[in-house]
Parts: sequence; structure tokens; C-alpha cells
Amino acid sequence: MENTHKISFVNKYLFSTDHKTIGAQYTIMGVLMAAVGGFLAYIFRYNLAFPGQNIPLFGALGPQQYNSFVTIHGMIMVFWVGMPVLLAGFGNFLIPMMIGTDDMAFPTLNMMSFWIFFLSAVILLASFFVPGGAFGGGWTMYPPLSANGYMVRDPNFLSALLSGSSLLILAVALEFVAMLMGGINFLVTTFNKRTKGMTAFRVPLVVWYINIAAVIFMFSVGPLVAGAFMLLFDVVLGTGFYDPARGGDPILFQHLFWFFGHPEVYVLLLPSLGVLAEVIPVFSRKPLFAYKKLVYLALLSAVLSVVVWAHHQFIAGIDPRMATFFSIGTIIISIPFAGIFLSFMATLWGGSIRFKLPMLWALGFIALFLIGGLTGLFLGSNAFDIYAHDTYFVVTHFHYTLFPDIFFGFFAAFYFWFPKFSGRTLNNTLGHLHFWLTFVFFNCTWFVLFFNGLAGQHRRIHDYSAFSNFSGGIYQTFEKFSTIGAICLILTQFIFLINVIMSMSKKKNAVKNPWEATTLEWVADSPPPHGNFPVMPEVFRGPYDYSVPGEAKDFLPQNQQ
Amino acid sequence: MNILPKNVSTYGQEIDSLFWLITTFALIAFVISLFVLIYPLFKYRQRAGVKAEYFTGEKKTHFKWVAIALIALALSDFIIMYAEHDAWVTIEGLPAQQDFHVGVTGRQWNWIFTYPGPDGKLGTADDVVVDEQNSELHVPVNKNIIFDLRARDVVHSFFIVNTRLKQDALPGRVVTRWFNITVEGKYDISCSQICGVLHAKMRNYVVAESQEKFDAYIKALYDNNKPKI
Amino acid sequence: MSNKEINLEISHVPQGRLGLWILIAGELMIFGGLIACYLLYRIRFPEWANDAAHTSTLIGAINTIVLLSSSFTVVKAHEAAQKRDYKNITKYMTITIFCGLLFLVFKSIEYITEIHEGHTLVSSEFFSFYFLMTGLHGLHVVAGMVTMLVVMLGARKGENLHRVELAGMYWHMVDLIWIFLFPLLYIAK
Repeated sequence: MENTHKISFVNKYLFSTDHKTIGAQYTIMGVLMAAVGGFLAYIFRYNLAFPGQNIPLFGALGPQQYNSFVTIHGMIMVFWVGMPVLLAGFGNFLIPMMIGTDDMAFPTLNMMSFWIFFLSAVILLASFFVPGGAFGGGWTMYPPLSANGYMVRDPNFLSALLSGSSLLILAVALEFVAMLMGGINFLVTTFNKRTKGMTAFRVPLVVWYINIAAVIFMFSVGPLVAGAFMLLFDVVLGTGFYDPARGGDPILFQHLFWFFGHPEVYVLLLPSLGVLAEVIPVFSRKPLFAYKKLVYLALLSAVLSVVVWAHHQFIAGIDPRMATFFSIGTIIISIPFAGIFLSFMATLWGGSIRFKLPMLWALGFIALFLIGGLTGLFLGSNAFDIYAHDTYFVVTHFHYTLFPDIFFGFFAAFYFWFPKFSGRTLNNTLGHLHFWLTFVFFNCTWFVLFFNGLAGQHRRIHDYSAFSNFSGGIYQTFEKFSTIGAICLILTQFIFLINVIMSMSKKKNAVKNPWEATTLEWVADSPPPHGNFPVMPEVFRGPYDYSVPGEAKDFLPQNQQ
Repeated sequence: MNILPKNVSTYGQEIDSLFWLITTFALIAFVISLFVLIYPLFKYRQRAGVKAEYFTGEKKTHFKWVAIALIALALSDFIIMYAEHDAWVTIEGLPAQQDFHVGVTGRQWNWIFTYPGPDGKLGTADDVVVDEQNSELHVPVNKNIIFDLRARDVVHSFFIVNTRLKQDALPGRVVTRWFNITVEGKYDISCSQICGVLHAKMRNYVVAESQEKFDAYIKALYDNNKPKI
Repeated sequence: MSNKEINLEISHVPQGRLGLWILIAGELMIFGGLIACYLLYRIRFPEWANDAAHTSTLIGAINTIVLLSSSFTVVKAHEAAQKRDYKNITKYMTITIFCGLLFLVFKSIEYITEIHEGHTLVSSEFFSFYFLMTGLHGLHVVAGMVTMLVVMLGARKGENLHRVELAGMYWHMVDLIWIFLFPLLYIAK
């Protein structure tokens, strides 16, 4: 602390080892990538509504570009927005603050983790500019399309290495490395660096959930890393791991991909659920409902998450009996998550609810996720999945889960902790405008597309002119409606940007504990200095002591005796 | 406006009734959950002088409400699973009576149809292969059509919206499935798994027609296919 | 900021060791994934045995012995580190690095012979797996050796002695993976 003023700009903002700076780097990077992903979404949504027309700010969109944009949009939103913001961003900001320590267990590793992540993002974006453009075979990267998509593998090592598909694999692999390093940090920090009195069941739920997410990630990603090596060798060196003509099997990659790909959904979901677990009690002035059970439910779902992957492959030609097994697994894993959401709702009952901005985002999250979760019932049923697979029904389903998860979860956290970490306050009116418009336009964008999906409209199609019932009539109108909704949704985010810029240009005026919350981060100054706490706080109670009978105040901070 | 498109296959009805069953469960669950979410927002909003109740939910008497909801959810899940099982077995299995056997092969970007030659068997030298862009697969109506699904290059997915049938075609594997179209007509076949640049243009038709018309079509195919001397 | 003592090692496992355990778990999942894929294929295609016949069991066995003895010396180095016996640390770690080097030399001889016989990365599925798995393992051997060297240079001066144990743990993992690869690729003909 004493030598803060000696730290140069580069060390303070670029190669900082401070967990808050790294968290900010991850979050800002994630938001920038979200802007790229959103722009891609705008381009292909525009094309779907008005096929063949010149797209404002872009121009004409060819089929190959359309495929790349859809693919990279998915990749970016999951791996370069969801992961850095929810896992790395939340983890870095919250874990050391909430368990009461000065920094991560391995600060240098933490810094390297961000820069590897940065490199991966650069490689991903660079893949737009190589000959042939970015990879356009769907974010699932199924071989043989990804291995030798155009049936002739490039025999030239260098140009094969610089193809869209190998750059994408490389970028994803580096991103995995970055997140693995982050995950090691989170786990060791939480295990070893908790402050005095911070026993396992006094740790706020969000810390639990980020750690469980990190464990799920590290356990499930290994086989896909192996699979990515094999795929990269197929692309660049001409091996035939997935080439049926040479004794390989393309389904193997699907298994490896979904063995990771499905748990990945929970990796993205758990940190956001953790945020809800922090936000809802504060604004209901009530203890979190069934805190300990929520920990066990998440642990249970972590175990179950590795036995559900093949429900993405019901129609991929796997053994029908195996499908029944995975269908049952899928049903069972819905139980702990339903339990988590129900407990959040139960927290509201009997509370004294304040409709502050973080609370609105949290409630919006639950409302939208409800639709996402219930449409999962349709897809988890393997017989209906025969029909709904690869249609807009699936696309809409996962946007109803992932959009609330990534964006509502992020905004709930942002409006909640921004005063703490920046020391500034946000404009309330703009915040409300941002929330309500986002909520409305999101539903405009997506709800109508359920009907397109049920009509059997299949996804990743550049131009529906070959399919008469989708290239005109009501379903085309729905596409237009959805696109207008999407454009408004994107424009709404500028309100958020303006709000943040306005707030950053004002002087620091945030108080220490604006929401009257109990967890340790509210004990520190706003913004917390390097090292977080002047004296490490000692913890005497659980994280959710609100409205304890017989107490004068309706909240008891964890460090209060 | 119908939510689901017209169904023309024997087993499509099972999928449709399954859809309505799940929709019923989902809507009930949706309404109840929405009530549980929204009611407290009005009932328990901040009021001057009213303190929130203090309960942690760790007690059985409190958690039982969540537990009951979870059990209800699990039960309805298993009812759905039970209801769908027959449909799944019907579609994924093969019928005892197999009327006509064809081959379907995906390539970038077209479906190729192979009809058995005059000997009536697939996989022999006299098979007739139709490999034209946007060609039609002719089948007799009300017959169990068995098809061998292959892919020549990448993963494709054989999808006839109106029969509710979808199946991935995988390079290096043969997947055998079936359908039975009960209404004469011409229906889209699409590829629903991204398969490269012109994935959007991969569209063929299945034409279900009476046995006489179908026989005439096959005869014409054989005639055209005869080696010219 | 002198209150670090309060919150050190609540779990009673030193930070470095805990982190390394997690890293090792992650690495084992990667190799586990590869080995599982290999096994699934191998069971489905018994004819791979024809290719497997061309790997040199003798060199594989020698390499196994080399790696096993290096695991022993690394334990001795750890013992020496606990006694702060700098001379023996240096001695045993040098032997370990030398063993790693020996392993790589044998591996290269093997690779060269096989490539000369026409078994390359792309010649057959078995050899694709063979080169991928042993190559990736070889990279881990190199990484282990470099780590060992860096740790040894520090430990010689008495710095960061706890790292001797960490380097040793990593080395044991490299060893363990080889124990799995050897029967799968060399003995199963």
C-alpha cells in the first residue's frame, strides 16, 4: 500500500496482479467481446428479416459469412463473454473480497491467465481476416466439416494452420488454459486464504457457486482438450482421428464436445445464480432460503452434469436405449436447479422487498429463466426432440436460458457491486430505463421465434428462399419482428454505456455499504484499496443475517460480534 | 394459424399429442411459478414499520414446500417420459412390415436417392441413383418406407417437417429408419445440421403418391437408366 | 499488511501443493480423455494390433525403468531438501534431469526407426494415437525437466526449497501417465 504511488501505469493497469484490476480487465474484455458478438447478431438477424438486402453498417452478407457469423457469435457469447464475465470476472472481484483476504493465492498466475485469455480473443478475431474467413460450421465444430470442411484438406501446413477452423480451435484451447489457471486460483484461494472465522458454511453462496463451477469446468474440459488436439491434428497435419474413411469416427468428437459442452452450461449458470443468492436476500431483508441445502443441490448438480451430455445427440444415431438413460439423467438434473430457483422465490416470501435495480435484474432473470427452463422439458423428452432438434425451438430455448444467465446475471451484479468497486454511483432513472427496455425487447426478439421453431424452421440457414413456408407469410413476419426487437435490444445497451460513462466522469461519492448488506466486501472502502482491508476482518456469523429478531438493525454484518 | 405444421405420417400424431401434453404441464408449472414469484412482490413489498420475517429455510417445515414442488416436477417429468416412450420406440425402431426400401445419402449440398433395381434389392448393381439438385424422392402412400441413411462427406440431418422425422446422416455409418406417409402430396426434405456454405440450399422433396403413379415413376426410372446400345 | 499470518493455509495444505494437485487433476483428465478415446477405438478395431506390433517393447520397457528410477531419485531429492542438504538436492535432481534426457533420447531413437519403417503420424490410426499420446507425454517430460532445472538452480542456493517437492510431484505425474501409456501402446499387441 505504501508504495502505490510508485507503481507505473503499465504495472497498475496492464500487468497488474491485483485481483480487482484483473477482474475489471476480464469484465471489460467480456463486454467488448459482447459488443462484437452483438454486432454479428445484428448482421445476421438483419439478413434473416430482409434477405438479400444490403445491411446498414455492413453491406451484403454471403452464405459463407453468414455461417461464420452465426458460429463466431455463439463462440464469443459463450467463451469470450460468459466465461470471462461470469466465471473470471465475478470470481476475481468477489472471492478475495468475500472471504476476507488481500488477493488471490497466485497473483502472477492470475495476471498470466488474463493475458492468455486476451491472446485467445485476438486469435479468434484474427480468424475473420484469414483467407476463407472465420470458421462457419457451427459452434459445435462437428467434424468432418471442421476437419476438412470443403473435402480437400489444405496440404500446406502453414495455410492449414492459418485456416478459420484451426485458428478457432487454437483460440478455444488458449481460452481453456486461461480459465484453468483462473480456476486453480479460485479453488486454492477459497481453500486456503479465508479469513479468521470464515468457516465453510459462512462463505457466501456466490463463492461456493463460482468454485463449484470451476470444479465442473476443470473436470469436464480435459477430454475436450484431448479432442481439440486430435481435431487440430486432423486439420493441420492430416491425421484421420475423425475421418471415417480412415477408421476414425466423427461421433467421437460429438461425445467429447458435449461431455464438456453440457457441463459448460452449468459453469455459466452457477456464478449467476450465486449473484442472485446475494442480491435477493439483501433486497428482501431476509436470510437466503435454505442456504446449506443450496450448496448441496449445486454439488449434486455438479456430479450429475457429467451424465447428461448425450441429450444433445438424441438424433445423432446413438443407441436408442442410451437415449433413455440420458433422458432420465436430464430430468434428474433439472431437479436441483428447480430447487435452487424455488428457494430464491421462497426467499421473497415474508420479506420486505425493495425494488432497487439489482433486484429488478434478479427478478427478471428468474422470470425469463422460467420460460427457458420449462421449454427444456420439451427438449429433454427424447421423442419430441426428434422433431425439435436443430430448429428455432432449440435456439430460442437456449437464448431464454443463456441471455438471462449471462446478461441479466451480469447486470444484477454490475448494478449491485459497481458502487463498491468504482466508488461511484449510477443514475437510477437511466438504470430503470435500461432494465425495462432490455426486458421488453428481449422478449420481442425471442418469444415469437418459438412459433417458428414449432413450425419446423431449421436453424443456421442463410436464406430461406428454398423453403416456401418460411420465406414468406407469418413466419417471415415473425423474423422481421424479432429482428426489430434485436436491434432495439442492442440500442438499449447504449443507455447502459452512457450511464457508466456519466458515472465514471463524476467524482467518487459511493458510501461503504449502500445496500446495507452483510458480507465482507461491504466492510472495505469503496473502492477497496490494494490489499482490500486495512485489517483483515474476523467473521462471527453466516452471510445472510437479515432481520434477526431482537436486533435493532435489520442486518448484521459478518464481522459483527 | 396452427402451431404445429400439418402432420402426414403415421407416427406424427404421437409427437403432436406429446407436444400438447408437455405444453399442458409446462403451462401449469409456468402459471404456478409465476404466481409464486409475483405474488410476494405485491404482498411483501417494503412497508414502513414492517420488518421482514426471519426464517432460514433450513427447517423441514419450511423446506417441505420446495420439496413438494420438486417431487411434483419429478413426477410430471416421469409422466412425460412414460408418455413419450412409445413414440420414441416406434420412430427409432423398425416396423415388422417393411414395404419398400430406399437409400438416402447426403452430400454437399443435396440428398441422393437410391431405388432398388428390377431385382427389388438395394445394394446391387442395378440400383437406380437419382442425384440431381432438388430432386424428388417418390414413395407410395400408406406404405412403410424403410430408408438407409448415409452421408458422403460431412454430417447432414434428414428432416421432413410434415412427418416429424429427423435423423442425422453420419459419414461412415448407415442408420436405418422408416416413415409412412398417409396423405398424398409433395413435402420438403431439408438438411437441419449445418453442412457447409450452401447448407441453406439443401432442399429436396418427398412425393407420396398412389401405388399406380409410383409404379409408373419407377418404371420410367428403369427405362431411362437402361444402358443405351 | 502484516496480517497474512491469520489466513495462511486454513486447509493445512500449502498453497503450492494444493494448486499443483488441482493442476495434476486437470492434466489427468486430458490424458484420461485421450486414453479413453484410444481404448474405445482399440476395442472396436482389433486390427490395430497389426500396427501395434511395430512398436518396440524393449525400448518402451527400458524407458519405463528409466522413468521409474528417476521417480526414485526425485524422492531422494525431496528427502535431501527436507534436511536442507543442498549438495544432495543438486545431485539427485541432476540425475533426474539426466534420466529425463535419457528417456527422450530413447524416444527419439524409437521415433526415427518407426518413421524410417514408414509409420508416421498419418500412416494409420494407431500411429496417429501413438505419436499424439507419446508426443504430448514427451512435451510433459520436457516441461518437467525445465521446471526441475529452474528449481534446482534455486534450491542449490537454498531458495524456495518447497519447490523441490512440487517439481517432484509433477514428475511423478509424468511418470504415472507413462505407466498407463506403456501397456496400452507397447504391450497390448
